[in-house]
Amino acid sequence: MFVTSLPTIATMVGANRIVRGPAITHPFGLDEAERRRIVERALEMLETDVEPTTVWEVDTA
Amino acid sequence: MVRAVHYLNQFFAGLGGEEAAGTPPIRLEGPVGPGRGLAAELHGIEIAATLACGDDYFGEHEEEALAHLLELLDAERPDLLVAGPAFGSGRYGFACARFSRTAAKRLGIPALTAMHEENPGVAAAEGVVLVVPTSVNVAGMREALPRVARLAEALVSGRELGPPAEEGYLPRGFRRNEIAGKPGAERAIDLLLAKLAGETRSEVAGGFDRVSPPPPVPEVSRALLALVTEAGCVPQGNPDRLPTIRAQGWLRYQLAGARTLASGSYESVHGGFDVTLANEDPNRLVPLDTVSALAAEGRIGRIHDVFYTTTGNGTPVAASTQFGREIAAELTEAGVEAVLLSGT
Repeated sequence: MFVTSLPTIATMVGANRIVRGPAITHPFGLDEAERRRIVERALEMLETDVEPTTVWEVDTA
Repeated sequence: MVRAVHYLNQFFAGLGGEEAAGTPPIRLEGPVGPGRGLAAELHGIEIAATLACGDDYFGEHEEEALAHLLELLDAERPDLLVAGPAFGSGRYGFACARFSRTAAKRLGIPALTAMHEENPGVAAAEGVVLVVPTSVNVAGMREALPRVARLAEALVSGRELGPPAEEGYLPRGFRRNEIAGKPGAERAIDLLLAKLAGETRSEVAGGFDRVSPPPPVPEVSRALLALVTEAGCVPQGNPDRLPTIRAQGWLRYQLAGARTLASGSYESVHGGFDVTLANEDPNRLVPLDTVSALAAEGRIGRIHDVFYTTTGNGTPVAASTQFGREIAAELTEAGVEAVLLSGT
């Protein structure tokens, strides 16, 4: 699964499981708390049946 | 008169159905089956002979089949090879693509084939031979043959071919520079006006493949998870000289039990974004610290001890696709069930 702050490009090239990261320069967040939310969201998506090019957002703290 | 050879499978050559799919290559005189329809459409080109081969024979004995077919083809001294149309038939499309591609490469014979755009033969043609798009089944024969004929005539005419949409073939996966009659701003306005009038056009080819979403990982808490990135993340000092742009390949690095990508031990050499924040803490690109913690907590089964990296910056789609295939093959081999890929 793909973590990127540019989900539009990710869907255009056909990625199917996409979680939106906060920024190009740090797709997995700045601190560990933020990173954990992103990774947990990504793991949840890995365990979920999805339609093609699905994008999930990460809850903000 | 230009001499063409036409390639068909056992079914279209009238040799039989599945029971004849094991037939080795044979030569038939003149046009056969759909070749008769094609011959009627061709101007200045005659179908001198038809070569046919069973689809299973080709698939199961590709080397022998190709060697035999090339020998038969070469003996005809043809100016052109036409293979198919194969429509949606995967085995037939594959044989058409492999034969015509090999003929073009080894014998230098101009070749084209025709099939449905999702036929695996399109990829097997590797952009070496032209592929005319057809319907998915044989009901589209009547529409396909004139289009094959027009492209065949264009191919042997010696003139430079225009773009795929204009000439009626599938994009071959590369771009060619040309002098446009108008500057970009004017062309953009033209496209916008066309879109407002209901016609969507683009100067940029799509060409991205689509794959179905893989099924969910049943239990991430028992799975082997790997980290992959295109963020140009490498050991400090970039020992293997990963390029900052237009990478030609990818690299793999042992994590050797590390639980974090420490600043000073890893860095990003990606030339497409400001790497200051990433180099302060490379986990911001490749979250080894967090996945290690989650593995210790039992949320993730195990972390794969190798991570994969490249620079996704100005990388052609074809190269990216190849990197993806190669990395995925290694991950599959290692028993990896889940991947976190980061993109910048």
